[in-house]
Amino acid sequence: MAGFAWAIVPSLITLGAATLVFHKVARIETGAIPYSVFVFAALAPWTFFSSSLNFGVPSVIQGQAMLTRLAFPRAALPFSMVGLALVDLAVASVTFVAFAYAMGEGLPITALWYPGLLLIEIVLTVGIVLFTSALNVFARDVKLAAPLLVQLWLFLTPVMYPLTSVPQSLRGYYNLNPMTGLVESFRRVLLYGQAPDPAMLLPTVVGAFVALALGSWYFAATEARFADVI
Amino acid sequence: MDAIVAQSVTKTYRVGVGRARIREMLPPPIDVGVRRLFPAWWLRNTFDALDGVSISIPAGSAVGLVGHNGAGKTTFLKIVAGVTSPSRGSVHVSGRIAALIDALVGFHPELTGRENTYLLGAMHGFSRRTMAARIDQILDFAEIEALVDTPLKRFSAGMAARLGFAALTALDVELLLVDEVLAVGDASFQRKCVEWLQGYRERGGTLVFVSHNLSLVRNMTERAVWLDHGRVVGDGPSGTILTRYVGAMERRRDAGPRGLGRHEIRTAMVADGRNRWGAGGAWVDEVHVEDPAGNGSALEMDLTYDAPALDAAVFCVGFVDEAGNDVGTAASQPMAIPGDHGAVRCVIKPLPLRTGVYFPVVAILSPDGRVRDRWKLDRAVVVQRDGDLTLDLGPIEIPADWSTGS
Repeated sequence: MAGFAWAIVPSLITLGAATLVFHKVARIETGAIPYSVFVFAALAPWTFFSSSLNFGVPSVIQGQAMLTRLAFPRAALPFSMVGLALVDLAVASVTFVAFAYAMGEGLPITALWYPGLLLIEIVLTVGIVLFTSALNVFARDVKLAAPLLVQLWLFLTPVMYPLTSVPQSLRGYYNLNPMTGLVESFRRVLLYGQAPDPAMLLPTVVGAFVALALGSWYFAATEARFADVI
Repeated sequence: MDAIVAQSVTKTYRVGVGRARIREMLPPPIDVGVRRLFPAWWLRNTFDALDGVSISIPAGSAVGLVGHNGAGKTTFLKIVAGVTSPSRGSVHVSGRIAALIDALVGFHPELTGRENTYLLGAMHGFSRRTMAARIDQILDFAEIEALVDTPLKRFSAGMAARLGFAALTALDVELLLVDEVLAVGDASFQRKCVEWLQGYRERGGTLVFVSHNLSLVRNMTERAVWLDHGRVVGDGPSGTILTRYVGAMERRRDAGPRGLGRHEIRTAMVADGRNRWGAGGAWVDEVHVEDPAGNGSALEMDLTYDAPALDAAVFCVGFVDEAGNDVGTAASQPMAIPGDHGAVRCVIKPLPLRTGVYFPVVAILSPDGRVRDRWKLDRAVVVQRDGDLTLDLGPIEIPADWSTGS
C-alpha cells in the first residue's frame, strides 16, 4: 500500500539499525567519513543485489500460471525482478546524494564511475539470478536457501564495516568475494574521490562474466522444461 | 498451406516426485551423457503423453481433438502453442497464434483485468496503446466492465474465463487453440463464444478445438482427430470420427464390471432426481435394449414395470443427444395394464435417426399427461449410417423419395 516508500524505507531502517549496532554499540569507526554515509554508499548497491536475488529466485515459479499457458521468453520473469530492484536502486541513489550533501560530504567527480560499476554489478546479478531462478524450478530448496545465503553473504562483505577492520589474515579470502571489490569500488568513487582499484575489481569483473555465462547458459538450456516440471 | 505440421511428436513426462527432478535439472549435453550411462534409471517413472503424433492442419480449417482424459489433447495444444517442447519429433507453426489452455490464457492473479489484458497483448506483440484502444470492445464482449480494475484473483472462475476469451478475440490471431473454453461460463456467453468462433472461421482463421462436448466439436469442426493414450487412432470427418469415438467409449463401458452385452441396457433402479423423476404410481423396472443390426438402424426395447392395475397408461420411449437436446419420442396409445409386474415391448423400425449417439429415455405417463416415471438411461445407442455425408441439419432422418429428371 505504501508504494514507492518500500523502495527506500527498508534500506533506511537497515542503515539506522547498522548505525546503532555497529557504530554506537560495537564502536566501528570509519575515519573522516560519517559512518552512516559510509554504509549507505555500499548498502544501496548491496540492496540492489540482495533484492534482485530474493525476488528473482522465486520469480519463475511465481509465473506458473503464465508459464504453463503462454509462450514467451522465460527470462522475462527474472529480468522483471532485477528491473524492479533497479528502480529501487534509482530511488536509493537519489536519496544517497541528498543524504551525502545533507551530511556535508557532497559528491566527488569520480562519482562518474558509478554507471560503470553498476553495469558490472548488473552483469553479476543477472548471471546469478538466471542460474538460481532456473535451478529453483527443479529444486525449491533454492528458494528457501537463497535469503539465508544472501544474509550470510552480507556479513561476509564489508558493507556495514570497513575492509580495513578485517584482519590481514582474512583479506585474501575477502578479496575472492566479487561483492567485496564492488562495494569497495563504490565507496572509493562516491566517498573518497578515487578511481576504482583494478586489482580489487578484477575478481568482480571475472566473477560477473563467469556468472553471466553460466547463468544464461543454464537458463537457456533448461527453460524449455519449465512448463513440464513446475 | 499448412498452419500446423506436427511430425512424430512424442512428449515424455516424468511421473512421481523426489529424485526424478534431478534428471530434469541436468542441462544438455550433460543429460544426454547421464542418459547413456544409466538408461534404466533415466527411463524410470516416465510416460509418453504423446507417442508419435503426426498431424497436419491446413490454414483455414477447423479440427477437433477428442479423446478421454489423459489422451494427450492438452499436451498437444501446449506443444503447438510453444508452451512446452516435444521430447522427440517436430512441430512447425505458421501464423499468429494464441491459445486458451485449460480455458485460461495465463493471466496473472495479482494484476487487474485491465493490466492482464495489456500483459496478454504484450505477450502477443501488441502495444499497450493498441490494447487500450481495444479494451472497450474486450470488456463489452466479456460483460465485466465493473471488474476491469479489480485484481484477477478476486474474479470468479467464470469471470476470468470470460475475460480470457474476450481478450483473445482482440488479438487478430490466425491460429487459435481452444481447450475446453466452454466448460465455464453460462449459456449465453457460450453462445457468444460459439458465434464469435464461427465468424472467426468465416474470416479464414484456423481453429484447433478440444472439448468433451461432442456436439459442439461436431458443429465447430469439419475434421476430428481422436487421440487415445497419446496416439492418433482416428483422423477424418468429424461425424465419422466422433461416432466411432463414442461407440468405442460405450463399448469400453460395456466391457466394465457390469459385463453386459454390447447393446443391452439393464440399469439398477436409482432415482437420483436428475436422470430420473416422476410423480410415481407406476415405475419402470428394467429396460432391455436390443440393437439387432448393431448399427442403430432399428431397436427392440423391452420394458418391465411395477404398477398397480391402471385403466390407462402411456408408455414413451424418447431420445436425447449427447449434448442433452431432446431429439424425438415414440409414445404408445393409452393402454390398460394389469397390476403388479408386467412387460411392454417397443419395436422401433426403422429408427429415424442419423449418425450419432443417443441416450434413450423411457417413461410412463398417465393419460392426462402427468409423468409418473421418467428415466434417462446412462447407456447410449450408437447410430452409424453408411455414407452419411450430408449437411448436418439435425438428427432426424427424414424419409424421402428422390429421383433425377431429364
